[in-house]
Amino acid sequence: MVNPFIKNKKILAAYFIVWFFIFLVQIYVLNFFLNLSLFFAFLDSAFFNLIYMFLGISLWYMVSFNSIENYNVVKIVLNHIAAALITSGLWILFGYYIMSSVITGKNPYPDFLTNSLVWRFLIGILYYIVIVAIDYVIIYYTNFQEKQIKEVELKSLVKEAELKSLKYQINPHFIFNSLNSISSLTLSNPSKAQEMTIKLSTFLRGTLSKNEKQKSKLADEINNAKLYLDIEKVRFADKFEFVEEFGEECKELEIPSMILQPLLENAIKHGVYESLDKVIIHFICKPEKDYLKLTVENNFDPESIPRKGEGIGIKNIKNRLKLIYNQDNLLTVEKNNNTFRVNIFIPR
Amino acid sequence: MEKKIKTIIIDDEKLARDIVRNYLRKYDRVELLAECSNGFEALKQISELKPDLIFLDIQMPKVTGFELLEILDEPPVIIFTTAFDQYALKAFEVNATDYLLKPFSEERFEEAMQKAFKLISNKDDADKKIEDLVKHIEKKDEFIDRIVVKTGQKISIVPTEDIRYIEAQDDYTMLYTEKGNLLKQKTMKYFEENLDPNQFIRIHRSYFVKINLIKHIELFEKESYRVILNDGTKLPVSKTGYQKLKEIMN
Repeated sequence: MVNPFIKNKKILAAYFIVWFFIFLVQIYVLNFFLNLSLFFAFLDSAFFNLIYMFLGISLWYMVSFNSIENYNVVKIVLNHIAAALITSGLWILFGYYIMSSVITGKNPYPDFLTNSLVWRFLIGILYYIVIVAIDYVIIYYTNFQEKQIKEVELKSLVKEAELKSLKYQINPHFIFNSLNSISSLTLSNPSKAQEMTIKLSTFLRGTLSKNEKQKSKLADEINNAKLYLDIEKVRFADKFEFVEEFGEECKELEIPSMILQPLLENAIKHGVYESLDKVIIHFICKPEKDYLKLTVENNFDPESIPRKGEGIGIKNIKNRLKLIYNQDNLLTVEKNNNTFRVNIFIPR
Repeated sequence: MEKKIKTIIIDDEKLARDIVRNYLRKYDRVELLAECSNGFEALKQISELKPDLIFLDIQMPKVTGFELLEILDEPPVIIFTTAFDQYALKAFEVNATDYLLKPFSEERFEEAMQKAFKLISNKDDADKKIEDLVKHIEKKDEFIDRIVVKTGQKISIVPTEDIRYIEAQDDYTMLYTEKGNLLKQKTMKYFEENLDPNQFIRIHRSYFVKINLIKHIELFEKESYRVILNDGTKLPVSKTGYQKLKEIMN
C-alpha cells in the first residue's frame, strides 16, 4: 500500500494544517506560559515541528509493515515501543543540534532547551502514538473501502456472467440446415443462393455483435428477427406466415437485445418444425402505461407431442428479463387449444 | 441389365430434397420413386413402393427419422442426411449404412452411394447393420419420452407419460394407455433399457407399471403380492419386484 500522505493530496493538506496548528499552539505556550521571547518561541516551534512533521510521514511505513493481520499483537506493540523511543530520540537529537547551532550567543534559550528535553521526549512519544493511531485508522478504512468496491465489482461480474450465459446462442442445426439450403440453391437457383448467403451472414453478424450490447431499438430487433424469418422462409417456403401489428411509436423504444428473435425461433421450432399445416406467427407490440407489451403468438398442432428441451429458450428469456429489471413477472405464457402465446412486458 | 435401385427421399425441407435429387441424376441404376416431406407420408410410400434405398432426415415433424426406422418391418438401406450434432454422429460412424452431414459435397455423396450399392447387393448384411444402428441410437438417447407404434398402416405416437402399464406378450409388449391398448414390437428388455426408472418400475417379469399410478400393494397369497392401480387394476408382483417397490416407497 502506498503512503497515503504522499499519494493522497487531501490527507497531506490536512496533515500540514494540523502541524501548522500545533506550531501556533506551541508558540503561544512557549511565549505566554514559559516566558520565552516571541522570536525564540517562533524558531523553536518552527524547527521542532518541521522535523517531526517529516518523521511523522515516514511512520506510515512502520505501521504498514506491522499490519494487524500479519503479526501477533505482542510483537507489534514491542516494535512500536522501540520505534517510538527511536523516533522521539531522533527528533530531540536533530532539534537540539539544529537549535543550538542556530541560536548562539548569550541568551536564556540554551538553558531552556536543555531543561525541556525530557518533556520534549515525552511529547515526541505522544505524537508517535497519535500519528500511528491515525495511520491504523486510515489502513483500516481503505481496506474496508477496497473490500466494498471489490464486493460490488464481484456482484456485477456475477450478474454479467449470468446474463452472458443466458444470451441467445445460435442454434447449430439452424446454421447447418441453412447452409444445406444454400448448397442446394447453388445448383438450382444461384442468385437466390447468393441472396440467402447474404441474409445468413447479416443475421449472424448482427447476432454476434449484439452480444456486447444489452439493449437496442425495437426497430433493429424486428429487422434482425425478420432476417431470421426470411432464412427460415427459404427453408420452409409456405409452411408459415409472419404477421406483425405495431405502431410507429413502438419502433424507437428500447428493449433488451436478442429477446424477440429467440421468441420467434421458439414459435418456428415448436409450430413450424412440428406441424404439417401452415402456421401463422403473429407479432404484436402494444405500449401500455408502465410497460411495453410484446406478444408472439402461433398456432400449433395440438396432436404433436412435445419434445424434450421445450421451454428452455423461453425460460432463458424470462431469466434474462429478471436479471435486467429485477422483476419476476415479465414473461407470461398462454397455451390453449391450438395457440401458443408468449407475452413480454418491458418496463418503461 | 442390372436391376434398378428403387429410391425414396424423405426430408421436410424441399431444398434438402432437391440437392439429393440433383446428385442422384447421374446414377442410371437409381430410380427415384417418391419424395416425402414427413414420416407419415414416408411410411405409406415405403410400404407401397418397397424401396431398396431411402435418404432419411432425422428432424422432421410428427415422426422423426429414428422413429420411422423403428416401425419399418423390412427397412431398406438407409442413408441419413442430417445436420444433427456430433454426439449422435459418433454412434453412426461405427454402424450406419452411411450418414451425410448437411451440407455435404457430391464426392461425399458418391462415397455413400458406393456403400449403399454394396449393401444392396448383399441385403442380409444391410439388415444387420440397420439393427445395430437402431440399437446404437436408442442407447444414445437417455430415456425415451415417446413411443411410436404402428397398427396396420396407422402410426400412433404415445408419450410415455400416457402409459399406465406395460405387459409382456411373447416377443411383443402391450402398452396400456389412457386412450386404449397398443401392441409394440419391442421386448421387455428394450423398455428395461429405455424407460425412465423414476417413472416406471418393473414389478414382474411381465409387467412395467407407472409409479405414480400405484395406489397400494396388497398381500395376495402366501408371500405373494399384488399392486392395485388408481383405477382398480390389479397386477402381480414378483419377489424382486416387491423388493424394488419397497425401495422406492421408502
